[in-house]
Amino acid sequence: MSLAWFVRRLMLMVYTVIVVSILVFAITQILPADAAQSLLGENATPEALSALRAKLGLGDPTWLQYARWAGHVFTGDFGISMRTSLPVGPEMLMALSRSLLLAVSAILVTLAVAVPLGVVAALRQGRLTDTGVSLIAYLGVSLPEFVTATLFALLLADTLHWLPATGYVSPLENFGDGIRHLVLPVLTVSVILVAHVMRMMRSETLDVLKSDYIRAARLKGLPERTVLFRHALRNALLPVVTIIALDVGYLLGGIIVIEEIFAIPGIGRALMVAITTRDLPSIQAGALIMAATYAVTNTFADMAYAFLDRRIRYD
Amino acid sequence: MTSALSIQDYTLDYVTSAGPVRVLHDISLQIGPGEVLGLVGESGSGKSSLAWALMRHLPGNAREVAGSLRLGDIDLQRLSPRELTRIRGRRLGMVFQDPSTSLNPTLTIGRQITEALIQHRGLKQRDADALAIDLLGHVDLNNPAAIMRRYPHEISGGEKQRVVIATAFGCQPDVILFDEPTTALDVITGARFLELFARLRRETGVAALYISHDLALVTRVADWVAVLERGRLVEQAPAADIFRAPRHANTRALVDAVPRPERRLVHDKPRDQVLLAASEIEVQYGSGGLFRDAPPPATKKIGLEIRGGEILGLVGESGSGKSSMARALTGLARFSGKISFDEHEIRGMRDMNAAYRRDVQIIFQHPDSSLNPRHRIDEILSRPLKLYGGQLGDIPSLLDQVRLPQSYANRWPHQLSGGEKQRIAIARAFAARPKLVICDEITAPLDVSVQAQIVELLLALREETGTAFLFITHDLNLIRQIAHRIAVMRRGEIVDLLPAEDFDADHVHPYTRELMAASPVPVG
Repeated sequence: MSLAWFVRRLMLMVYTVIVVSILVFAITQILPADAAQSLLGENATPEALSALRAKLGLGDPTWLQYARWAGHVFTGDFGISMRTSLPVGPEMLMALSRSLLLAVSAILVTLAVAVPLGVVAALRQGRLTDTGVSLIAYLGVSLPEFVTATLFALLLADTLHWLPATGYVSPLENFGDGIRHLVLPVLTVSVILVAHVMRMMRSETLDVLKSDYIRAARLKGLPERTVLFRHALRNALLPVVTIIALDVGYLLGGIIVIEEIFAIPGIGRALMVAITTRDLPSIQAGALIMAATYAVTNTFADMAYAFLDRRIRYD
Repeated sequence: MTSALSIQDYTLDYVTSAGPVRVLHDISLQIGPGEVLGLVGESGSGKSSLAWALMRHLPGNAREVAGSLRLGDIDLQRLSPRELTRIRGRRLGMVFQDPSTSLNPTLTIGRQITEALIQHRGLKQRDADALAIDLLGHVDLNNPAAIMRRYPHEISGGEKQRVVIATAFGCQPDVILFDEPTTALDVITGARFLELFARLRRETGVAALYISHDLALVTRVADWVAVLERGRLVEQAPAADIFRAPRHANTRALVDAVPRPERRLVHDKPRDQVLLAASEIEVQYGSGGLFRDAPPPATKKIGLEIRGGEILGLVGESGSGKSSMARALTGLARFSGKISFDEHEIRGMRDMNAAYRRDVQIIFQHPDSSLNPRHRIDEILSRPLKLYGGQLGDIPSLLDQVRLPQSYANRWPHQLSGGEKQRIAIARAFAARPKLVICDEITAPLDVSVQAQIVELLLALREETGTAFLFITHDLNLIRQIAHRIAVMRRGEIVDLLPAEDFDADHVHPYTRELMAASPVPVG
């Protein structure tokens, strides 16, 4: 992993974000929504409309509009929401931070559960433990989020009264309460991710354990523990890094269901509201922020991969 | 005196769905301290199973029916898993066939040596590092301290095998098992490995079981040679005698299969007319970029001529550019330069028309990867027939041509042995009725005896069809038996291009002489 590779990989990320910004802008251009009309309401006079259009530069060529918008975005200015008349940027970033907290917590919980389970299932291949673990994992992934969410809420909130059923409290304001509100959504998301990661971990561990270098490590006289932790685990973890990065995409897009169920004001919900109210600046900001987050996560995943496996060179 | 390693009446079965299959019958072998026993046999003879049994690494379906395995006074079959980790590596080491897969790709070389030293010799990390650097220097690796920090993909195959052998010797075992340690290496690297083994053996007095399919090679390293055939020991003799006076028919077949340059298999002369003339061929993979330089060209403006019906040999070690030349001539690699074929001029891949692609066929090294595993044999053979105007009814006669039963048409590639798969690849090439067939190391993955059969087949096909061959190999003894002329390649250049009979002469290139020294003619 050379510096040149590092720079190339970062450039790739920048290109991705630029392309996405063009697409996001293009899509909002095609949408049947007129910014001036939305701002002034249905009863606006034609004079007022054309005055506002001129002021917003809606008559300018598309590329100029894009350049203006991109320039503002670059300085962190995503414009003013048509719905709330507040700056869009801070609102979307705040929503993103809530979703990220949920996503990162879910991924940490998933890794802590799925990696050991996958390894154990591989070591006990074909035995009861393996079958049991796989069965539970499949059950988790095959139930829709709202079903698992409801089941968890019924058990932990309604029956046992251990946790609040819905709502969001920032852990920065009240740590204990914040965590208590996080548990149910994190559990629900993790149930799905655990299945992905566990299955991947299991099959990779099986493959790695069959490899020549594991045989060589055993025949060198290393204890089984060393063979497993030093030689097998690192190699088996590699594809899991990729899976996790892909799951971040699922989390950011698909988390909307979870956010709806548990009433968390995250980015999914914010984008949903923006789309239903045709709030163009919010749609643009939300989509671009999500795409950028995805690009950054995948870049990190690639770097982690390259660190774990030095053979990797993305040419 | 007790033996260092003693195998007594050992019998082994593998339990399959069709019942138990016996892989080793009543094997008895003794290796004295400091002695090297060579174990020779074709693939499937059970020689690897014996190694796994000794290392106590048998598959789950193995059943040890009778006999004993003893390392000095230790009964290997009675060891608990915990005791086993103290024997493996420490008392009984192993060097594997393919060094590129037996090192962990994600750990540094240093880590992989020192972990064994720490485990078996109770060293601290710092002392283990110092010893590992010593050991790597002792196996003639340059700059061992730098090698310690590298990952396996950053060193060559020969260097990797030296790392493996340094690790094995570093723990000072009584016996080391070698499982085909040079098969994955090219001739010169393999020869240097054998020199290193001989030196380490003199210095340490280690005993060894040296497993190989190559009888000629085994007689050079071993004191005694045992020949295994289908799980039975058919002959045991001092290494010096077995080549000169093989007693068992199987041993004699193994001796006969060893290629010897003085035994020419081709006696005719090629036609005068030039079939293919290539000049100034340069193959360049990849280009430079913002942050890196372009790699050096794989072949440096080289040229060669092949006449009608000629066998032109192309030899050189791995990375010398032999395969790149083959890829250029078949349009598989981008090249610059000129090829004249049958008065047709070709300056790039786009000039290669259907006629050229029919006339020039290539057979690859690994039939496992060149035959589609999801296609039956008849499907594999029907492709070139359809493409080049043959008839599907020709499939049985194609199979006849390569001496395979016609019933093989309905089989899948995985149901065939390595040699049979290579015959299918040959049939596929000949289905197009080519004028030139390029064989790219096609016998390298095969046993010596299977190699002899494949060579015999190719020569018979040449008799029938008058096809010319460009035969790429690293086996100089083999190519001197069959080629009319031989080109020697090194680092992208042709250093020698001589008639086969001139290779004993004095005016050969020093590198050619080095190649010949690395592939000595067997004793006896």
